[in-house]
Amino acid sequence: MATLVIFFYGVVLFAVQTTLVPKAAVSGVVPDLALIATVYCAFTLSFSRGLFAGFLLGFAQDCLSGVMLGVNTISKSLIAHIFCQLKGKIIVEGPIPVFVFMFLASLCDGVVFYISSLMLLPNPLSPEKFFGGLPVYALYNAVLGPVLVMAFDRNFKWWAGRLKAS
Amino acid sequence: MTVDNRRAQGAFFFESFFLLVISPVQSLITNTLDAVSETYNHYFMLVDVARENDRLQAEMEALLRENKRLQEEVRRLERIGHLGEYAATSDEKSLLATVIGRDATQWVKTVYIDKGTRDGVQENLAVVTNAGIVGHVTQAGPNSSKVLLLVDRRSAIDSLFMESRVPGVVVGLGADLCEMKYVPVTAEVKAGDWVLSSGIGGVFPKGLVVGRVLSVVKSKQGLFQEIQLAPGADFARLEEVLVLLP
Repeated sequence: MATLVIFFYGVVLFAVQTTLVPKAAVSGVVPDLALIATVYCAFTLSFSRGLFAGFLLGFAQDCLSGVMLGVNTISKSLIAHIFCQLKGKIIVEGPIPVFVFMFLASLCDGVVFYISSLMLLPNPLSPEKFFGGLPVYALYNAVLGPVLVMAFDRNFKWWAGRLKAS
Repeated sequence: MTVDNRRAQGAFFFESFFLLVISPVQSLITNTLDAVSETYNHYFMLVDVARENDRLQAEMEALLRENKRLQEEVRRLERIGHLGEYAATSDEKSLLATVIGRDATQWVKTVYIDKGTRDGVQENLAVVTNAGIVGHVTQAGPNSSKVLLLVDRRSAIDSLFMESRVPGVVVGLGADLCEMKYVPVTAEVKAGDWVLSSGIGGVFPKGLVVGRVLSVVKSKQGLFQEIQLAPGADFARLEEVLVLLP
């Protein structure tokens, strides 16, 4: 049952990411729901589950993207690993820490993609364009992050209660 | 026999007295009855009116929705009409597809279309609109396919200028623009020139519109010009496309 619920949420997340989210682009920059979900899972779930969630979200994103296969898997797994390690040391409560961590996670995600594109693409991204757009991307995720984390959290608790009851 | 009902005098005292006493009560009762009757009648009438109002409101909303849907349908048919005109004038066999989604990440430019291998779509087929090249199919699933857009950094199309016939390679810049590479500094190129596909490579047929020159920079040291292109197709409002079938 829990697996089905997670699968359903994954489908909804990526359906929204590929259809509705592009309509909310700010100067061509769109938020990354998978990244927000990765950070949320890393902070909420146990170490191994958080890491696995990051891996799965990244892999699904790779499959639904034209990007080099594996780049998002690496970046999301790395982000999940970092935040799983951090959660034992830092208490993440309230919108401001979530904002800060989403911003940092987005920068990390962007840098991983940039390094991968430098290594693998014949026509890599120009640094000016990439680093010009990265803060906007990070800020967008950081602003959206606390709202979505709250929504994820409520859903998670609701489902947890229901599953426990059943 | 006749009855004479005439009265020589005015109203009899008791008559007047009873009239005086009873008339306010009569008025009160009559008015109350009228009020109750009116309220009763109006209440039921208002219930009817409210029901009628609700029905008309719902009807109006349904008609407005229908109107919007039909307007959208008209627009869609207009767009399809443009594509159909293009398809009719083209020698290529084509398949109309709808864009159903965009890339799941920020960094690349791909879209999903609602046609796949069951409809005859394969990898490396050209995807176009009446305004120009959109991209090519990079992955074909049974019911949907992934299209790498012309503006993606990994896209490269062998092209030539319509007027001068000078060849080059159009690559995406990752945003909404493209760049034409390997055009020698000696070639005559100016802003506004049209760029067409050359047909080399086998994916895009010859003569499809790629875009239009926006700016040309000739460096003194370099061998090639730096040419920026605006793609012919409008990628921000991509809704229906044609897949050119083999």
